[in-house]
Amino acid sequence: MEQAAVLELNGITKRFPGVTALQDVHLSLGAGEILGLVGENGAGKSTLMKILVGLQAPDEGEIRLKGEKVHLDGPGGAIRHGIGMVFQEGSMIPNLSVMENLFLRHEERFRRFGLLSAGAMAAEAHIELKAVGLGTLNPRTRTGELSAAEKQMVEIARLLWLSRLYGVHNPILILDEPTTVLQEQEARILFEILRRLREKASIIFISHRLEEVVMLSDRILVLRDGRRMAELGHDEAQVRGIEKLMVGHELAEEHFRETLQTEPQEEVVLAVQGLAMEGKFRNFSLQLRKGEIVSLVGLLGSGKEEVCRVLGGSEQPSAGTITVGRRGARFSSPKDAISVGIGCVPIDRRNDGLATSLDVAENINLLVLRQLVSGIFLNPRLERENAARWVRECLVKTPSLQTACANLSGGNQQKVVIAKWLAANVRVLVLDHPTRGIDVGAKDEIYRRIRELAAAGVCLLIMCDTLEEDIGLCNRMLVMKDGEVVRDIPCPRGGKPTPLDVIGYIV
Amino acid sequence: MKGGVLVRPITISFALFVVIIGGFTAANPSFLSAYNAVTILNAAIILLAVGLGQAFVILTGGIDLSVGSVMSLVSVVFMLTLEPLGGWAYPLVLVIGAAAGVLNGLIVSKLRIPSFIATLGTQGILLSLTYLLSAEPLGAPDSAGGLLNLVTGSVGPVQSVWIIGLAAFAVFYYVQRFTQVGRSIVYIGANERMSYLSGLKIDRGRIMAFALSGLGAAVAGIILAATLYSGYPALGGVYVLNSIATVVVGGTAMTGGAGGALNTLVGALIMGTINNGLTVIGVDVYAQQVFLGVLIIIAVAVTFDRQKIAVIK
Repeated sequence: MEQAAVLELNGITKRFPGVTALQDVHLSLGAGEILGLVGENGAGKSTLMKILVGLQAPDEGEIRLKGEKVHLDGPGGAIRHGIGMVFQEGSMIPNLSVMENLFLRHEERFRRFGLLSAGAMAAEAHIELKAVGLGTLNPRTRTGELSAAEKQMVEIARLLWLSRLYGVHNPILILDEPTTVLQEQEARILFEILRRLREKASIIFISHRLEEVVMLSDRILVLRDGRRMAELGHDEAQVRGIEKLMVGHELAEEHFRETLQTEPQEEVVLAVQGLAMEGKFRNFSLQLRKGEIVSLVGLLGSGKEEVCRVLGGSEQPSAGTITVGRRGARFSSPKDAISVGIGCVPIDRRNDGLATSLDVAENINLLVLRQLVSGIFLNPRLERENAARWVRECLVKTPSLQTACANLSGGNQQKVVIAKWLAANVRVLVLDHPTRGIDVGAKDEIYRRIRELAAAGVCLLIMCDTLEEDIGLCNRMLVMKDGEVVRDIPCPRGGKPTPLDVIGYIV
Repeated sequence: MKGGVLVRPITISFALFVVIIGGFTAANPSFLSAYNAVTILNAAIILLAVGLGQAFVILTGGIDLSVGSVMSLVSVVFMLTLEPLGGWAYPLVLVIGAAAGVLNGLIVSKLRIPSFIATLGTQGILLSLTYLLSAEPLGAPDSAGGLLNLVTGSVGPVQSVWIIGLAAFAVFYYVQRFTQVGRSIVYIGANERMSYLSGLKIDRGRIMAFALSGLGAAVAGIILAATLYSGYPALGGVYVLNSIATVVVGGTAMTGGAGGALNTLVGALIMGTINNGLTVIGVDVYAQQVFLGVLIIIAVAVTFDRQKIAVIK
């Protein structure tokens, strides 16, 4: 691509409270180019795309279109500059016809004698649809009846038409994981059309399926932890190499406090036998020994999230038994799970883990109020002492016990959630992405806390943000795929598998 | 992020209270007379009683539109039973109020109906019941004078209503601050999903909040009936919106989870002061609602937790 870039992002930085989502990211896109964008969850792909369609403003850096600096103020503004996003299932109104969606908000162009001419609309729609391979589709079809693939095509057609309307040559289409919802055959057709569109548009293609990205893209940009890790030309790009760049080569041993890893004790604390949930997972068995850290890995839809929810009591299994200690247990709500000593640190701490409008002490004391009474009334001194103790133990950095949790950083909020469960003396703690969205320093403190808990005999079931983190933290790992455990991989201290050893079982 | 919010809503409410008193006094110095202060206090105590209960429901993020009907029902039943039951009429109507609240709580939590709709329904039901018992105002029976003294009398210079108001405040404040159920109500309002995932009994907390609301309304109904020496179906009507105003003006957030008894105390004083002051300084009765309306909007603007909800409906 020798000609000037259509789109240039220079030094884009975006910070959220407690985490830097993007750090000095550069990106350029040539006319008629397909740029592949890859990275793990949380690497910053979505944030970057949100900035491109004007949903978020960067803290630093500039966006240039054909050399000219622009300010994008929302998707409406972005499309005026010819930048449009194609959503997985389309973002159209299902009850309107295809042509009505195509020309939404621009119907005045089809006014004939003061009335809307359906004929004129259908004629123009037919031309637009033909350009994206939908020449046989009746423009009067209700959009809700289309397949996911057809919806994506209609959306592409709309973006192309709009950019022509706004006089933009060579518009930029962003496709975020388009193939996730497509059949193989449909995906092939999509690629065919994307290749053809290169004549008049540039494309940013995001996908977790690296084979597709390698096959389709002219250039591939790899993001990791909000930074641009590498940029590969079509000829040098290989799936294995990209995987390495995405996870990072060096498995920094000390990073996960591996030297503090302890061997689990003999006693089985939690035994799960043949657990199943209709349509989600089946035949799940697990023996969690005292002080053991087991990591559950698998893709979205592998069933691991549901397993954790069943163990936490917020969803009910259709079969199987759970034994805690020597007693069989049935959980009809989280309350039952908590009463036998199972706690869950949820992935969405702001909505599921904390009451952010309440203060640190109120959040930490929630589970143990019963123990903080004198007679029948709560004792403020006991409340204060308990909260202060766990703030100390979990290294929560807070101005005071009366600080509202909304005003703490993500890492400290997470420590408050963990403190809340530890105060309740849980025997089993499920950690759902415990380090999501928190900074490196707080991460390390949470790793150390996890080690200390294991050493003290607490069982931990973890699901992490990265495979590296899973491997680094756990004693052993269960790999789930399509609702079943497919591998049980030991991860002893000093004998850890690499992410590349494991990734094959996951996908 | 509202990282720098250090001024709590209750501080703002209290400042508002001081400013209002200053304003009225400047407009008419006799506003601050001892006689007028007592008038304000006695009106505020009724708002306090019904507001304290309403505050618990609002703390959960709900609303209780049935408090006015509970007050009316209580006033009528109270007048009807004073003669046959004597002093037992007091506990009877308190139980009726609490039971109406439990009914609200059951409808909201077991049938999972929004509190606005549920209590809109029960307020009509209770009001009809009241009319069926007596469509006409009922006067206090002659023999009841001594019994009503419990409310209308005084202990030395201290009026009984003040003691009742103080006691009601103390009970509600203690329940909120120092009992597990009171605390659960706050947790539920602050984040219901988190509360569920943390094993709190959501339904029980919610039913308790409504029961306390019914109880507060019953206390207010008794005070009002005793003061007026009568009970009638229209007695409580104005207190539905006034109780909500009392709660929010005190700085309790309509979104739940913040505020409570102490805020409601300040709110009741403000509402009592304004109602009285507007008359004392000679504002046209028909124009008074303008001031009240503006005040409520300002109060909610200050205390509303916009972080918690993305869409304002």
